[in-house]
Amino acid sequence: MDTITGLFPWITNGPLLAVQVLSGLSVGMFLFLVSVGMSLIFGVTRIVNLAHGSFYMVGAYLMVSLMEVLPDRPWAFWLALLVAPLGVAALGAVIEMTLLRLIYHRDPLMQLIMTFGLLLVIGTLVLLVWGPDNKSVSRPDILAGSVKVFGQPFPSYYLLVLGLAPATAIALWLVFYRTRWGMLIRAATVDREMLGALGVNVAALYTQVFAFGSWLAGFGGALAAPTVAVALGMDADVLTTAFVVVVVGGLGSFAGSFISALLVGELQSFGILVFPAISIVLIFALMAVVLIVRPWGLLGRPEE
Amino acid sequence: MYMRRTSAGTWIVVLIVLLGVAVGPTIAAAQGKPIRIGEINSYSGVATVYTFPYKEGLALATKEINDAGGVLGRPLEFVHRDDKLKPDEAVKAARELVLQEKVDFLAGCITSAVGLAISAYAKEAKHLYFATHCQTSRLTWDDGHKYVAHTTNNVNQYVRVAARKAATLPVKKWAHISPDYEYGHNMWEEFSTYLKQIKPDVQFVQQNWPKLGETDHSSYITALLQSGAEGVFSSVWGSQHINFLKQARPFGLFDKMRLVAPSVGNPDELDPLGKEAPLGAITTGFNPYDENMQKWHPKLADWSKKYVEWAKARGMKDTQPKLGASWGYASAYIIAEAIKRAKSTDPDKVIGVLTEGFDMEFPWGKVTMRGCDQQAIPPQWIGVVKLGKDGKPTMGDVEEIHGKDIVRSCDEVAKLRAAAAAKQQK
Repeated sequence: MDTITGLFPWITNGPLLAVQVLSGLSVGMFLFLVSVGMSLIFGVTRIVNLAHGSFYMVGAYLMVSLMEVLPDRPWAFWLALLVAPLGVAALGAVIEMTLLRLIYHRDPLMQLIMTFGLLLVIGTLVLLVWGPDNKSVSRPDILAGSVKVFGQPFPSYYLLVLGLAPATAIALWLVFYRTRWGMLIRAATVDREMLGALGVNVAALYTQVFAFGSWLAGFGGALAAPTVAVALGMDADVLTTAFVVVVVGGLGSFAGSFISALLVGELQSFGILVFPAISIVLIFALMAVVLIVRPWGLLGRPEE
Repeated sequence: MYMRRTSAGTWIVVLIVLLGVAVGPTIAAAQGKPIRIGEINSYSGVATVYTFPYKEGLALATKEINDAGGVLGRPLEFVHRDDKLKPDEAVKAARELVLQEKVDFLAGCITSAVGLAISAYAKEAKHLYFATHCQTSRLTWDDGHKYVAHTTNNVNQYVRVAARKAATLPVKKWAHISPDYEYGHNMWEEFSTYLKQIKPDVQFVQQNWPKLGETDHSSYITALLQSGAEGVFSSVWGSQHINFLKQARPFGLFDKMRLVAPSVGNPDELDPLGKEAPLGAITTGFNPYDENMQKWHPKLADWSKKYVEWAKARGMKDTQPKLGASWGYASAYIIAEAIKRAKSTDPDKVIGVLTEGFDMEFPWGKVTMRGCDQQAIPPQWIGVVKLGKDGKPTMGDVEEIHGKDIVRSCDEVAKLRAAAAAKQQK
């Protein structure tokens, strides 16, 4: 061990530090896309959707299939990126209408069992449809290389992520606060009985919200596909981290998810540099601290 | 209402009984009472990319053995159980196989943790266990005992081959990235100590321990970029390794340092990586289509063809003759050979044969079952990731080094066992 030199050589290296910050940001952006959907679904339907990671996985697998089917042209990637999440949204809508609708009034434990069952069923279906082999999606040619950030190479694909995720966040904000549909969603999170009494078709609203949440997960998966191996098990991996993000940010809080996703992304990024041995524990430690100090999350509302 | 419900239930019970009756005896119809081997492995989820080809290799060999008259005039039969990658599930399955299914032997494992757990159970139950697919050296060395035999190579053998090749590179400063569990620690320990032994001036400048199954490696990649290393050893494997390699490439990591990665040469990783494969990386693996391989082992081409046809006929999505397929194939034959030589299925008699040791010829060369540790010692292959004639990445420039030339000696194994025993007494 005497040959392992230097404890924190990175402190003095500004450019690499900047790359580290950017990497952390891109991780946070993926996490945001997945967790905001989960948070949204919980906010409206009060269901903790353990199958949310499965939608992320299906998004990535659909991306693989679409890229195989589409001709090898530059636009294929962008078309697939558009279509794959829509497929996931359709799947989400079907699941909501056929299964979840039956359990909204049940015990939360029953709901957990149902969504956990969905996690297992979708995982097995993916194995049956796509097989056990690892799959992969290539980055589009224009984003395959790297750009220099302060003289350090940084993957240009991450720049796309760094752009698309905040754009999605702004679009979401506009939808929630500037449209009638967004207003209904916000109303549903506060009092769904009252909303129904006012003549709003709550059942349809739930389906739309669930499909939209699934779309966000599918979009996250489709966007992540070129940076990872598309493989079985990615559902559970993303679910754990997304769950931490949602709990830290506050269940049902949209801005909370954004802040907490960035926090978790940077914490992962720098945790590895500072405390390599315990970096895994850090995000769970963060969750524990938040749960002790603010059990309802950073920007969540305390339950009455 | 009540009547209808009962009748539906009754029908289901009748159906289950019928199915049980129909499936039960037909299997044993061929010859005498089968020799049954309880085989425990991960047949659901992430590990299936390895275990499915392995299982087909095993099934192909079993069919050949049984068509040729079986073992001691009895057919060989594998009873499979899914361990779901969990040691406690594996032990539960082992107990069930021994107590209820009355299997003659135990076999299987893909993860080291599962292998060690079944081995501990086998020792306690005095039941012979053939570890087939997992790789930790502890299995037959530190934690070895007479009730466990290992039918495939262990970490020590192929890491030493990789370290020997790494020593020839003009690289002095090494860093590594290894998954933070038994296998990853075992890999780095074996690689770094052997490399230091054969090339004393190497330095180990930085370490990375991502958790097993980590999906985002960008922080480890930037940490590696800062380390000043000229070479990086990676024992990350499977889909996690694809993640790491896909993420590292645009950062220019492999332009800055030479990669040594034992697992990347397997098609499970190279095929999905495609044009993003790390060309020039040093790797171990099994490529039956390599020209050198076919020159050294003339029977290999026929075996590959036979396996591909078999996998196709069985409706497998993946029909490539991968390393795992060769391991399954070899395992069935080694188990059969041990029983044949013992002329009995009595565990103590088979152990007697194993402690004497024996050699077997396979289409890929000689495999020695060594007596002192009941450990298989097969040939090892090392090569470089290159683009093949079809433009797809493959393991090329293959060199063969037999495990017997580099593996720890029986004396060294005895020392490891003594040290482990002394540690346990404390």
